[in-house]
Amino acid sequence: MKKTKNLEKLFNLISRILEIDTSIINSKTSPDNTETWDSYNGLMMVSELESVFNVHFTMDEVVGVRNVGDIIKALKKHGVDL
Amino acid sequence: MNLLTEFYVGGYNQYAQEIFDPNSDLYKFNPDLIIIFLDTIAILGDHYFLPYKISDEERRSCTEERIVEITNLAEKTTESCQAKVILHNLEKPIYSPLGLVENKQDIGYLESIEIINSTLRDRFKKNNQVFIFDYDAFCSQIGKQNTFDYKMYYLGDMKLNLKYLPNLCDEYIAYIQSIASMTKKCIVLDLDNTLWGGVIGEDGLEGIKLGPTPEGRPFMEFQKYLLSLFHRGIILAVNSKNNPEDALEVIRNHPYMVLKENHFAGIQINWEDKVTNMRALAKEINIGLDSMVFIDDDNMNREMMKEFIPEVTVVDLPKDSALYVKTLTNLRLFDSMSITKEDEQKGQMYAEEKNRRKLAHETMDLTEYLRKLNVTVVFDKINPVIIPRVAQLTQKTNQFNMTTKRYTEEIISQLVKDNNYQVIAINVADKFGDNGLTGVAIVEKKDKRIWRIDSFLLSCRIIGKKVEETLLAYIIKVAKSNKAHFLRGEFIPSKKNKLAEEFYQKCGFKKLQYKDNTHVWEFDLKCEFPFPDFIEFKINK
Repeated sequence: MKKTKNLEKLFNLISRILEIDTSIINSKTSPDNTETWDSYNGLMMVSELESVFNVHFTMDEVVGVRNVGDIIKALKKHGVDL
Repeated sequence: MNLLTEFYVGGYNQYAQEIFDPNSDLYKFNPDLIIIFLDTIAILGDHYFLPYKISDEERRSCTEERIVEITNLAEKTTESCQAKVILHNLEKPIYSPLGLVENKQDIGYLESIEIINSTLRDRFKKNNQVFIFDYDAFCSQIGKQNTFDYKMYYLGDMKLNLKYLPNLCDEYIAYIQSIASMTKKCIVLDLDNTLWGGVIGEDGLEGIKLGPTPEGRPFMEFQKYLLSLFHRGIILAVNSKNNPEDALEVIRNHPYMVLKENHFAGIQINWEDKVTNMRALAKEINIGLDSMVFIDDDNMNREMMKEFIPEVTVVDLPKDSALYVKTLTNLRLFDSMSITKEDEQKGQMYAEEKNRRKLAHETMDLTEYLRKLNVTVVFDKINPVIIPRVAQLTQKTNQFNMTTKRYTEEIISQLVKDNNYQVIAINVADKFGDNGLTGVAIVEKKDKRIWRIDSFLLSCRIIGKKVEETLLAYIIKVAKSNKAHFLRGEFIPSKKNKLAEEFYQKCGFKKLQYKDNTHVWEFDLKCEFPFPDFIEFKINK
């Protein structure tokens, strides 16, 4: 899969916060299969995503995220080109 | 900051248990520093949301109870271990249901929080183990509308927006530095464009910016802030590339100079590089380089310091002098957790020491530095576009100017056309950026055998980087290829060009004569004069 610039940004952000290699990140990456994705790092991602992509998620959007695929969907909904 | 840290984080909402149990993991960890960050919502509980459900009387006793609770936490901690304790005060909310009449109450809700804060402050004034951190002021500084993020609060019970955690950590670091004895003791200051605006060697005593004008006030008030640090015991020193007489005249005689000679524990004003001067100051004042802070407007000097003496803390002074005071007051380098009478007088003591010592000199390998600097000299073809700049340089350059001859644009244009003359202009760049057209030489070749350097000058920005030698090497090269036998150079002393006095001598010229206030030097063109090997040069034809 060829990554767009924004997708690369997203993967780098996730990799930095969850301390995992970008190569193992895919849309199925989730708290269930990633040990470092705890509730604190989850919030850290929200905060970083908002500032990096200049978006503002609603509570429901945040709570609705189950995996990286959902993050991508939420970002797209806010007009981020991915 | 090089500090290896270990953290112990208490369990969620377990702070009271951990503090009151003398066998808790907290105390087993044996910390040096304990941070107790209590937030207003947790402390007030439902009173936070419904402050006026209770009577004034109840609120008064509630406030008392909270004070006792918080005080007990801190005191219990100090009983159970030796750690210093940072105790947050409470963030005062910005909202009250009573709105405009909030402060008309016998004891208002917001007032009750002020009372908690002021009582905590007073309670621990004389305690040297507990330090109240003014978290309310911290939030105000950022803006309480920003520090509280409702979404994060609901999702994770977070009371501080994650964005501002680094700011909070900076506040903590000030305490940690103090505990680890890593606070800085001495500020070493540049002069030109740092303590005053402009360059004394170029602008003169009347021309520099310092005093009660829009341009002069940033510098004057910057000096006042430095003086206030001196009064709390911070040592001040000077590290400047200048003629000592010029710079000292400002320090001694400028009416708006706030910092005087007796405030400085060491003064190094010369043409040595700043790294050498810094080492000399450390030796002279007798303090470690790691307790020194270097403030200089010039990026090159700062980078040089960072590279050669990494122990020195280098402050990245902004380009705009209006921001100098802000930069200084945002530095958290000098905080210590106690100030003694001796501390307060330390700046003074060190300043007095100065008179008893002699200056030390130490050299470093400047060649190595210059090699890394990647200086490039471009010899420009003279065209009408650059003539105004060439003329301006002859008008304005004072320090590295061998003859200080001033020429107008018209004269420069004539000289360029005249076959008896050659006008040379150089552009100088290094890895930090382009300095632009900063050097000029005018060579007279009327006498085919003996060429004469009529003008030779460099802007002070580029002095001391072997650019002068490069320019001279180029002239020598051209003279040789035109079969000249000798090259003469003149030095006409002025009030400001002392630094260039020995240039021709250092470059292998022989003294010919001294007449009419002019030293005449001569170079035998049979001799070699190579280009400095680590300077790149380019000739634009």
